[in-house]
Amino acid sequence: MNKTLQNKIKPYIWLLPSIILMALFVIFPIMIVFRLAFSEVSKSGLMGGFVGLQNFKDAIGLPAFKTVMLNTLYWVISVVGLSTVLGFIIAMVLNQKFHGRKIARAILVFPWATSLVVQASVWNYIIKYEYGNLNNILLNLGIIKEAINWRSSYQIEFLWECGVGIFVTIPFVAFCVLSGLQSIDGTLYEAADIDGASYWDKLWRITVPLVKPSLTVSTVLNIIYVFNSFPIIYTMTRGAPANKTDTLVTYLYMLNFYDRQKGPATALSVIGFLVLCICAGVYMVGVMRKEEEL
Amino acid sequence: MKKLIALLLALTMVFSLGAVAFADGEDITLDVIICQYGPNTEDWFLGSGMDGTNFVDKFEEANPGIKLNLEVVSWDTVDQVVDTRISSGQAPDILNNDNFSNYAYDELLEPVSQFCPDDLYEDFFPSFIAESVIDDTVWAVPDLASARALYYNVDMFEEMGIEPPTTWAELEDVCQTILDFYDGEVYPWGIDMTSDEGQAAFAYYTWGNGGGFTDDEGNWIVNCDENVEAIEFAISLVNNGYTNPNPATQTRYDLQDMFAAGDMAMLIAPNQLPTYCADKESTVNMATANIPANEGKESASVGVMDRVMAFKDESLSEEETAARDEAIGKFLKFFYDPENYVGWVSMEGFLPAVNSAVGALVEADPSFGAWLDVLDGCRFYPTAMENYDTVREGVVKAEQAALTGADVREELDAVQAQVAPEA
Repeated sequence: MNKTLQNKIKPYIWLLPSIILMALFVIFPIMIVFRLAFSEVSKSGLMGGFVGLQNFKDAIGLPAFKTVMLNTLYWVISVVGLSTVLGFIIAMVLNQKFHGRKIARAILVFPWATSLVVQASVWNYIIKYEYGNLNNILLNLGIIKEAINWRSSYQIEFLWECGVGIFVTIPFVAFCVLSGLQSIDGTLYEAADIDGASYWDKLWRITVPLVKPSLTVSTVLNIIYVFNSFPIIYTMTRGAPANKTDTLVTYLYMLNFYDRQKGPATALSVIGFLVLCICAGVYMVGVMRKEEEL
Repeated sequence: MKKLIALLLALTMVFSLGAVAFADGEDITLDVIICQYGPNTEDWFLGSGMDGTNFVDKFEEANPGIKLNLEVVSWDTVDQVVDTRISSGQAPDILNNDNFSNYAYDELLEPVSQFCPDDLYEDFFPSFIAESVIDDTVWAVPDLASARALYYNVDMFEEMGIEPPTTWAELEDVCQTILDFYDGEVYPWGIDMTSDEGQAAFAYYTWGNGGGFTDDEGNWIVNCDENVEAIEFAISLVNNGYTNPNPATQTRYDLQDMFAAGDMAMLIAPNQLPTYCADKESTVNMATANIPANEGKESASVGVMDRVMAFKDESLSEEETAARDEAIGKFLKFFYDPENYVGWVSMEGFLPAVNSAVGALVEADPSFGAWLDVLDGCRFYPTAMENYDTVREGVVKAEQAALTGADVREELDAVQAQVAPEA
């Protein structure tokens, strides 16, 4: 075999293990899900014949479908949006020189490093009406005179879930942005200072454009993570009452394993997959175009 | 040298595969899935919770030639685990679960007559066996049961000088009395409408109003007038402030904790409540009474039963199937042997499913006798009916929707339309 051919083949041989693993653990399961979505599926999970789009029609016709899709939209926008803004601000703070900066950075990792189930369970205890830490602290400090029901309606419960989602997502954004901030050359700010640029000028004209690639990565990854996030909602409310706090992922899980409507549940997972592909695709194409323009 | 190493590795692999096949040829290995009933389940089956040994070791010692590949799986994930295995053609040989009908309708189960020894079959309570029949065939055997009753805090009731309620009207009066007497510091009544136990709430109130899941002919009657009235009554208890504040997310364990802490005066709970409270080191003084029913309607006790079933293995020859069935029979005989079974049932405070265990259990704890009487008159969920899952989820969602202000009749109509469109 001549050397040119060897050099051409070599990269593919090195990539082969990854390709095989991806095919086995990513592509193959996706293909099975697609096949199930177009098949009749029994309550025990046995696959029957081809049923065309029937599972998709059944899924879209489910009474909770609209609520669940809207909840998913609110969930993704609020968690990704707010955690990006707050994570950016925290990263800016952590990029300053101050005493205890290393400790502050270490503490920031905790919410991210802890399991989501543990996080959600802890928050459940914090906001519990009867023996919750929040009520106990406020009562002991004399701020409130009687315990408050922090989960008095499903709208408030959903807000708590979004809050926990934001809390655990902030560290990831902050560290992505922080890595971006640390790679900015300090002379750019010095030059801007000489030119008389204000704090906001420097922020919008130097910091944000140079941190943008890091933000892009964190936003795209967060959209995927948050959209697929299961533990927070499942642990805190299980979608109750009556799917009012469900997102697509928790809903299709309950539909599959509790309701045993496996066909529509599989169709919903395909819908979720396609939605994510479109979101991530549109975002990535947009970003790549802008990078090309630059 | 490299070729020699490769050859040696290949030969090692071939011989090791051969060794596994040889071992398989001699021993029968049963894949068993057991649900986790409590903190002691795993220890009893796999650890040292059976007088220093465990069920698997004891069984394998007593039954040479049969190996158990036993897993203890949590209730939360058991359906997920089993369904995934079925999809990949790896169903367990023996499964312990509450629901059997989906597997029976999909023709995945073996009839009980095929693997259960006759003397053991005769030992089961007939009323329990009757709950596992589809098309005149018994598809599962009961492993244990629990019965629900009204528990109340005796000290509180004595302090107020009142009696536990027997009717819905009395229940409302008692709740108001408790609310007034303790100035809102104690929840008078516990209610759980979560996806865990919402179907139990449906049973408590609808059976106490002459309604229920099905009529005498076995037709779904989810949206009958009695059921609508019953659920409206349950929701009114919540809206009047007589119950825990968040019934859609507070599970029965939350309620039991409140009761154990003396923060709740009454709740409907299974017969394991005293064991649960004792584990929590609670000193609450409790007693039981009948579940309150509507005026002129009979109080119904609610029974919950779990089962053991065997899956078919169509990859086996007729001879191998017979050997496997015999092994399953031996497993059951060993499990229900009073020497083992009494310890298992009493460990978590459950009620037995076989006559042979009753004597020893009553001797150990005389309160069992009263519970066995309750169990005798219990009604069970219609788990043998097709679409029970849909109804169960439907009524829980209907209750939860009603908690947010939705119309009960409309919600129950929607459930009924799903399972009996022609009605």
